[in-house]
Amino acid sequence: MIIVDDVHKRYSGEHGPSRWVLQGVSFTIPPRVNVGLVGRNGAGKSTLLRLIGGIDTPTRGRIERQCRVSWPMGFGGGLQGSLTGRQNAKFVCRIHGHDDALADRLAYINDFANLGDYFDQPVKTYSSGMKSRLQFALSMAFDFDVYISDEVTATGDVAFKNKAAAAFRNLADRAGLIMVSHGEGTLRQFCSAGIWLHEGCAHWFDDIGDALKHYKESIPA
Amino acid sequence: MRSHWNVQKSVASALFLREAITRLSASRIAWVWILLEPLAHVIFLMTMFGFVFHRMVHGVEGGVFIMTGLLGFIIARNTATRSAGAVSANAALFAYRQVLPVDTVLVRAALEGFLMLISTLVLLAGAALAGFNVAPHDPLTALAAFSGLWLCGLGLGLMLSVAAELLPEVNKLVNIAFIPLYFISGVMVPAMAIPQPYRQWALFNPFLHGLEMLRAGFFVQFHPAPEAGLSYLYGFALVAIFLGLALHVRYAGRMVAQ
Repeated sequence: MIIVDDVHKRYSGEHGPSRWVLQGVSFTIPPRVNVGLVGRNGAGKSTLLRLIGGIDTPTRGRIERQCRVSWPMGFGGGLQGSLTGRQNAKFVCRIHGHDDALADRLAYINDFANLGDYFDQPVKTYSSGMKSRLQFALSMAFDFDVYISDEVTATGDVAFKNKAAAAFRNLADRAGLIMVSHGEGTLRQFCSAGIWLHEGCAHWFDDIGDALKHYKESIPA
Repeated sequence: MRSHWNVQKSVASALFLREAITRLSASRIAWVWILLEPLAHVIFLMTMFGFVFHRMVHGVEGGVFIMTGLLGFIIARNTATRSAGAVSANAALFAYRQVLPVDTVLVRAALEGFLMLISTLVLLAGAALAGFNVAPHDPLTALAAFSGLWLCGLGLGLMLSVAAELLPEVNKLVNIAFIPLYFISGVMVPAMAIPQPYRQWALFNPFLHGLEMLRAGFFVQFHPAPEAGLSYLYGFALVAIFLGLALHVRYAGRMVAQ
């Protein structure tokens, strides 16, 4: 269960604080419910995901995570360019307290990402597709109660996309999912409930179809 | 759910290994540089000033005098400057909420202290093989001064790491500020060689206190300035560490967001 209570967020920029990105967002995500987040560009979707993932703090309000929540997957961050894929994977295993089964997990990640020799090359030599494959494999290697996904399914080549989609379906069945995607089909496929972010406020819908309808109606024709 | 202590422990050990790998394998001979940097300084200054100040302090060999000062200064400076850069170097890792900016600074300072301890021991052993008398007559005082200098570096690093994230210009100022510090921290001359009233001002610098006490620990004939002492060194370190941690608590959110 994740409780978001009256969350406000604004960033501080070069010239004083920015406008409010989120203004009084409140909702509760029950366990094992898959939620799609919709809204225009700049509506605060990624900001909200970062707040739920705990890598940023709200300016006002509070967020309670009563379960294990993943880091925002497919975020582009989380990899150190000067280290190899293997060293990065080891680091992530260690901070999650999995020193014991390190070899197994590394084998799983290597197998899933399918990077071959590149697994032992510095991440800064990777193409963007390879990078996102590694990130995806990393997040699949751990058991979380809720996974946070920011446009993660849209990466990699065709072969990897199929594999990732299968893994993602499996994951959506056994754990909760909070995802941002601009693909309507993806959202309908994986999510049951929806949150529509509009002008700093969040509107909860028990059916993702209703959220998408409101989102579309908000766009001027 | 893991306890806070467990999370902290695994983050610290993971970061330590990650830092050690980049520090020691960044280039093909990165680990050689860790020894070579202080060694090059020592040899350079020994040839430049070792003979000039040969009998500056009665009964103390000029070369070893400079060597102790330099090693003490380098541990404080390297700890401060390298841990000040820890936050920006690890920015990618803040995508995991377990990793906080302050962890990266503490771990870098620990690694730097560990590496400097090893290179100090190697250099002292090398000097002993070359026939210098480097055995400290009061090892506990020398060790206390050495750790005090490291703690000062840690405190400065904690403060500077936050300042550099909020105001990127700070990094340039720090690099400039460490050049005169080299000369007024007593690397080449003892504090007693500085005439009054300048000495009392120079002794606002905690590094000078640290180097004086370090030499007092090494040489039986060396008499530190009466105003110099470990209490000022540790007092400075304590205040700097406290302020640095307070800054990290205050600005953790903003550093992660960047």
